[in-house]
Amino acid sequence: MNNLKTIEAGLLALLLLAVAVPTWSVDAQELSAGEIMWKVYERPEGADRTSTLTMVLRNRFGDERVRSIRQFSIDLGAVEKKLMFFTAPADVKDTSFMIWSYDEEGREDDQWIYLPALRKIKRISSESKGDYFMGSDFTYDDLGDRWPDKDTHTILRDESLDGIPHWVIESRPKEADSMYSRTVVWVRQDGSWLGTKKEFYDPEGDLLKTLTVEKIEEIQGYWTVMESVMHNVQNDHRTIMSLADVSIDVGLDGELFTERSMRRGY
Amino acid sequence: MKWKHTCPSPRIRSAAVMVLVAIITLLAAVQIRSHLRLETNLDAYMPADHPAFVYSDQADEWFGIQDAVVVVLHHPEGIYRPETMQKLVDLTRRLQELPEIRPDDVKSLATADNIVGSEYGLDVRPFFRKVPGTPAEMGALRREVDGNEMVNGRLVSKDGTTALIMAEMDSEDFSQDLYDRLLALQLEFEGPEEIHIAGQPVVEGTLALLAPEDMKRMVPIVVAVIALVLLLSLRSLRSTVIILLVVLLSTIWTFGLMAALRVPMYSVSTMIPVMLIAIGVADGIHMLSHLDLHLREHPDIGPIEAIRDMTGQMKTPVIMTAATTAVGFLALITSQVYPVKYFGLFTAFGVLAAMVLSLLFLPASLHLVGLPRRKRAEMPEKDGSPRGDVDGSAREGGIARRTADRVLRHRGAVALFWLAVGLISVLGARRIWVDSSFLAKFGQESPIVEADAFINGQFGGTSTLNVIFEGEDEVFKDPLVWERIQDLQEDLEDREVVGDTFSLADYLSRMHMVMNEDRLSYNVIPDSRELIAQYLLLYSMSGDPEELDRVVDYGYRRANLRVQLKGDNTRVIEAAMSVVEEHRDRFPGLEIHYAGSAYKSFIFSDLILEGQIGSLVLSIVIIVLMLALMFRSLLAGVIGSLPVVLTIFISFGVMGYLGIPLNSTTAMLASIAVGIGIDYAIHFMDRFRRRMRVHGDLQRAARETMTHSGRAIAFNAITVIAGFAVLLFSVFPPNRELGALVALNMFDAFAATLTLVLAMLALKRLRFLTRTTSSVEGDVR
Repeated sequence: MNNLKTIEAGLLALLLLAVAVPTWSVDAQELSAGEIMWKVYERPEGADRTSTLTMVLRNRFGDERVRSIRQFSIDLGAVEKKLMFFTAPADVKDTSFMIWSYDEEGREDDQWIYLPALRKIKRISSESKGDYFMGSDFTYDDLGDRWPDKDTHTILRDESLDGIPHWVIESRPKEADSMYSRTVVWVRQDGSWLGTKKEFYDPEGDLLKTLTVEKIEEIQGYWTVMESVMHNVQNDHRTIMSLADVSIDVGLDGELFTERSMRRGY
Repeated sequence: MKWKHTCPSPRIRSAAVMVLVAIITLLAAVQIRSHLRLETNLDAYMPADHPAFVYSDQADEWFGIQDAVVVVLHHPEGIYRPETMQKLVDLTRRLQELPEIRPDDVKSLATADNIVGSEYGLDVRPFFRKVPGTPAEMGALRREVDGNEMVNGRLVSKDGTTALIMAEMDSEDFSQDLYDRLLALQLEFEGPEEIHIAGQPVVEGTLALLAPEDMKRMVPIVVAVIALVLLLSLRSLRSTVIILLVVLLSTIWTFGLMAALRVPMYSVSTMIPVMLIAIGVADGIHMLSHLDLHLREHPDIGPIEAIRDMTGQMKTPVIMTAATTAVGFLALITSQVYPVKYFGLFTAFGVLAAMVLSLLFLPASLHLVGLPRRKRAEMPEKDGSPRGDVDGSAREGGIARRTADRVLRHRGAVALFWLAVGLISVLGARRIWVDSSFLAKFGQESPIVEADAFINGQFGGTSTLNVIFEGEDEVFKDPLVWERIQDLQEDLEDREVVGDTFSLADYLSRMHMVMNEDRLSYNVIPDSRELIAQYLLLYSMSGDPEELDRVVDYGYRRANLRVQLKGDNTRVIEAAMSVVEEHRDRFPGLEIHYAGSAYKSFIFSDLILEGQIGSLVLSIVIIVLMLALMFRSLLAGVIGSLPVVLTIFISFGVMGYLGIPLNSTTAMLASIAVGIGIDYAIHFMDRFRRRMRVHGDLQRAARETMTHSGRAIAFNAITVIAGFAVLLFSVFPPNRELGALVALNMFDAFAATLTLVLAMLALKRLRFLTRTTSSVEGDVR
């Protein structure tokens, strides 16, 4: 299994290298850390997408909670809407969850949950972006894209991961009282503008979490992270997120993202 | 002893002994200095492979069960005042900043999640972000707290005057330094608010520090008093110093061996010097007392002959007493508890060391420094009896003879009296209770006890019992299971000793109510598996999902019910466990176990007692057999063991009547009864037999034995009783109990030997007393 993955990653790397060599070698020389982070931020992701997410939470004893979710998302410019339907485990089947997140600075997300056993839709307040998402090791902030100008960025070094050259960039938050004292991200120098590894340091400066991208795929021309693992090294808790059945730019209707849809199921 | 004839001078031999003793002592001292260490980690005391401990440790790991330092903030006018609330916030933060404590493990109103129903539906949020500034905001906060059963009565007292901060930590990490920093925090934040600090880590930590410290203070005074009494009764500085040196050197040798074997000192080990003082002085007293009497009877005898007579006459009883006492202590190595095993082993060694020193070092010292000069009249009578002494010896002799006569005259009454005492003691012993409480070891006036009582009055309790349920995967999404657990919780809370209980059921019913517009009729377990699963999912999206890991595991196959107890003693824990046991049948398919430190110390004290009582019985059996062998009579074995048995009965009986619980310290005291009781009996019976063999006159033998051994036993008893009476002034209650019980044991053994043993020996003519087939040394004077 592991070997297969390595071979897969190696082949992918070779392929990417062949395609990307003409472009990246030029860019690499001139970009500043901030510019690279902007490129990453602006990496195109399509107007909408559907996928099946499997989220595995694994604690330090090796016990797991596995959830399967069918998810739909759309970028409407000022607002990004996401609708998730739980398909497993059976006792939470048809539970649905909707998030509207706004570009507008300081505006809180709107969140709803539909509990079929209660037959009620309830709103959930999202007080803090620093909250962990569904008991995972990802905060809401980790899942979204962070506005690059909130941090100051420095290129620490170049480093090769799986044979692919990466920039290693350190980002330190400008605001005081951030939940991380700094993050370090490995960004591929192949023009995909993907980060494949990221380290999160707690306010005391100790390593808190490591995010590792295990699998990427180019789907309909978009580089997509198919599997990633967030490992909280301090409590040895892991979250494994893997995607399947990804479709991008399928032409979802913005009207789909309503409470009615939540009740109806997908 | 053949070499003493070939060796020209006893002085040279004595010098050799001295050099040898000095070398051994020096080696022991070096070992102690470089390798002896005190074990303060209470977990190291427990047998790690015992199933109850293995399970409990495992459960601690699953649910992050830890003991908590509990800090409370009290303001008589209520905590809903900006200044007080700010103090709560600051104090919480300061506790979070302590390196020994993880910030997430500190819970107070300032960090707690408030699960509320709002226009949003479910909302899990802090009670406040900034301390409310206006009375209106403060009033709103108070209403929120009052309406939330998950904090009301748990983090804030129901009357609103006290707030509680729980800082969970590993008890192992508790140190004097941390306690000092906590006390500094208390001082800093106090006024007008009251601050109290309690909790298991504080209790255990302070105890581990306090007990040896108190001992260090008290032992020198004990020794000083013993020295004074020895000086008064033996009337010789030389004898006093020699006897004390025997005890001191045997103690150093014992701890030296302990250090050399890299065995750490446990808190029980502080009892070793106590045992050696109580037991080790006996040999010296008996030998020097014999010497004293012999010199009085034979004033013209030379020092070398006098010393030779002393060792010759006393060798057998000294060796026998040491051997039987050592065997009594060695029986403790059958205990499952390492500190007790080691205690038995090393005390046995110490007793043997004291014997060797008494037989070699003591005569050697006399050879080198000369015989003790007893301050007495210049002209002793020459009729070979001490009768004519003009000083106290005459009184002593008179008392001894009159006692012997009286005992002989009323031997039936004496036997009946002791029978009655034994029966009454057995009745009292039935009232005895076992206590594993750490808190009980502090005095009522101690700040820790006061803080604990205060917190128990306002909150659920400072001690926690964890009830762990285990079943198949997903079983803890079943509403029926939770309804039954909730029933159990209600039954538990009906008990006076239980303050509060907490489980996933509390989350489930709270969420159910909140999701149904706060209607009280929904403050129950949701009625379907799906709803429970969906609430749990919902909570993981909105709350602090790690909080749930403390009550249920990932696979929903294990759950943790926390029971807050209003005390840490065995009765309280047993009462709570009995409620759980009554409910056990209602959980078919589920296993129920217990965990947590209160449970572990409960099991631990059980183990100590089990082993202690087992080894007591074993040592009495062995002693009866050894005495029987020594006197070639089973009856002699039984008679000789009477003082031991009675002393133990009385000790337990008194504890029963006075309500002194049996714990690891008091149980250990039974060993003293064995050690001392047997010594007295052997000295007494050996002397009695020697005299009977000489002339066969019962009354004369009784008088002579009473004058000889009886006198030494009385000196010994008075000395040790006086010494240990000092402990009655200790600030540390267990040490007070120790002092009282050692003194009591000494007195019982002394009284039983001088009256009951004599009465039994005289009940009829016992053949073993006059039979001369045994290997008696030429003792026909």
